[in-house]
Amino acid sequence: MPPPDEPDIAAAELALGLLDGEERTAALRRLARDPDFAADVERWRDWFGALFADWPEVAAPQSLASRIEASLDGKAATPANDNMAWRRLALVASFAALLLLGVTMFELLRPLPAPVQIAVRMPAPAPAPLLAAIAPTGGGAPLAAAYDPARATVRITGALPVPAGRSAELWAIRGKEAPRSLGLVAGGPTRLVVPAAARQAIAADTVLAISIEPVGGSPTGLPTGPVVATGTLTG
Amino acid sequence: MSSPDPSSANAARAALVEALIRTGDADRDAFRTVYQLTSAKLFGICLRICEDRQGAEDVLHDVYLTIWHRAATYRPERASPIAWLATIARNRSIDWRRRQTRARAAPVEAADALADPARAQDETLIADELHGRLHGCLEAIEPRQRSAIRSAFFGGLTYAELALAQAVPLGTMKSWVRRGLLALRGCLDAAA
Repeated sequence: MPPPDEPDIAAAELALGLLDGEERTAALRRLARDPDFAADVERWRDWFGALFADWPEVAAPQSLASRIEASLDGKAATPANDNMAWRRLALVASFAALLLLGVTMFELLRPLPAPVQIAVRMPAPAPAPLLAAIAPTGGGAPLAAAYDPARATVRITGALPVPAGRSAELWAIRGKEAPRSLGLVAGGPTRLVVPAAARQAIAADTVLAISIEPVGGSPTGLPTGPVVATGTLTG
Repeated sequence: MSSPDPSSANAARAALVEALIRTGDADRDAFRTVYQLTSAKLFGICLRICEDRQGAEDVLHDVYLTIWHRAATYRPERASPIAWLATIARNRSIDWRRRQTRARAAPVEAADALADPARAQDETLIADELHGRLHGCLEAIEPRQRSAIRSAFFGGLTYAELALAQAVPLGTMKSWVRRGLLALRGCLDAAA
């Protein structure tokens, strides 16, 4: 908050990412509590978004496109198979509300069908996955999360209500370290490839949390909106 | 500023929206189209904020994986496609930079040069009248204030980082930026 004799421009400061420390915390608290303030922040984000047109383009390295495609192939099944796997997983998830969470966990751990187009090496014995039940803070059925250390992926089943024009973002919090973003959670089943830098934050006892963020995720790299669900990973 | 041909700009944007939506259906060709249309813009963002070529490449890689997995959540009625994509790139780049501990050298001047509105702009993807309005209003505020606001946006800098980069006290920097933002808000509200 600015001193009382100064006009209030905190929405712009937050939208631009100028604040840190206590000022940022205060502005975030306001964002969570004051819908007018939140709308004002959104309006500033839209305004500043127009400035992206001015950003000079720089050709990305030639090799990068194929590297990205390779990582889609390597870390995930081919899109068609992935889709089918997800449809099945979604079906499983829709039963999950009626069944015990443990059943969902079991389904989550089933390997994806191997893509037929890709030669599959027989994998070495994989490290055990970590599991968490991410309970909504407002009550309701928990989401099931499974972390696969071999693929560095997190899979989540179940759905969480996300306000229009907002994104739900998943965070890993290990001990007293700062939260690390694992990516955005869709309305339905989600599979996230954990960024390399965030992998060391995932272990047994790491807390997973979901916060409500602006579209596209937190602009600051730390949670900026209310935390709506949390759970602890166990081996 | 020259005004873009609205029909070609709208067509380019519509093509990107369509490719992004199809990417959300796990369409690999559509994903390649999104990459072709946007990778230079997004790499420019990563490079500027990371200030490290290898870091920027890693971040860009991560950004497109995020786009691949998150495209289904894109809502065309909420945000222009390039603003949605660019926001992901800016946020991921800021995340990366804040994980690095090294000091930044002269970011403000560099950001200023990049943000010169007289430079060629990507007018095919962002053709909003909002863009023109924002520039008109930025031009109208005091240069020092404008420069700080641009550095915050293009460099992803906090007040503390801006003050350090410009070697002025934190209070002075806050005062410049706040006055600039107030003037900007007044101008944008009046022009709306």
